[in-house]
Amino acid sequence: MRLEKCWFCSSTIYPGHGIQFVRNDAKIFRFCRSKCHKNFKMKRNPRKVKWTKAYRRVHGKDMTQDSTFEFERKRNRPERYDRNLAENVLKAIPKINKIRSAREERHHKNRMKGKKEKLQKEAMKELEQGISLVKAPSVLQEDPSLTLPKIKVKVSQKQSEENHAMEE
Amino acid sequence: MAATFASRCSRVGRCVIGGLSNCSPSLFTSSHEMICNNLFSQQQRTFIQMRTVLKVVDNSGAKKVMCIQALKGRKGARLGDTIIASVKEAHPNGKVKKGKVVYGVVVRAAMQRGRCDGSEVKFDDNAVVLVDKQGQPIGTRVFGPVPHELRQKKHVKILTLAGHIA
Repeated sequence: MRLEKCWFCSSTIYPGHGIQFVRNDAKIFRFCRSKCHKNFKMKRNPRKVKWTKAYRRVHGKDMTQDSTFEFERKRNRPERYDRNLAENVLKAIPKINKIRSAREERHHKNRMKGKKEKLQKEAMKELEQGISLVKAPSVLQEDPSLTLPKIKVKVSQKQSEENHAMEE
Repeated sequence: MAATFASRCSRVGRCVIGGLSNCSPSLFTSSHEMICNNLFSQQQRTFIQMRTVLKVVDNSGAKKVMCIQALKGRKGARLGDTIIASVKEAHPNGKVKKGKVVYGVVVRAAMQRGRCDGSEVKFDDNAVVLVDKQGQPIGTRVFGPVPHELRQKKHVKILTLAGHIA
């Protein structure tokens, strides 16, 4: 049993899944699902499609060089069964997975290092540039040019007379 | 030529998303063209049936044959099936002459075929290897990749002649 990698998204293809396309020069393209197959038929480059492993590798999103990847490698010669070896491998698999996940986390942390400061800087800049759009109401009151001039109206008997007239 | 193509695209597009393209034709034509191209390129692949023209990938002398009967299957032949074909194009001094009726094994089909484990396999083109009535290949060489399913169909001779087995 061999677990292949998808040509487009580099995910693992388990037996019985996906489709494989054999070109006339006998190169085999394996796809994990119809999504990847369709993207291949559309002649998309996996390095330019954001959700693929190839894109993430090219753009430094994921860890690329690590000793934990060395264990998962295509071997053309089957390993001769050895009880002790199999036992050790089964023991080692969870350990390796743990180390890899820890390293990946560290890589992600390193990548996101200056993120908070950058965001804050950008926000500050935007605030400075766009402050004219969002002046507080108190500022508007202080600045006479922005408000309508106040008109003083004399309150007198006239008003009541007018009301009477309206009623009539 | 290009203008007619663009107009056809816009017509197709209009029926897809209503009158949206009328408002801003310049913005939408590019996307329409892309959709249309995809529709044209993704041809629906189907069985090898009567009048299907197949490439001959051995040195029997024939270049192209036309399927006149699939020996198995109601709808037609698939990858690994045997067909009866008539030779449409042939090399001038080969074993097989133009117009002869021959038997052939489909060694490559553009339509996908399920494998024993449930996955699928498909090829670039439709290709055939000419055999006699007993199933022995007429030519002595086979070009290009062939599927390993031929072993189940008892065409081991073709497999041994082939350079690549997919």
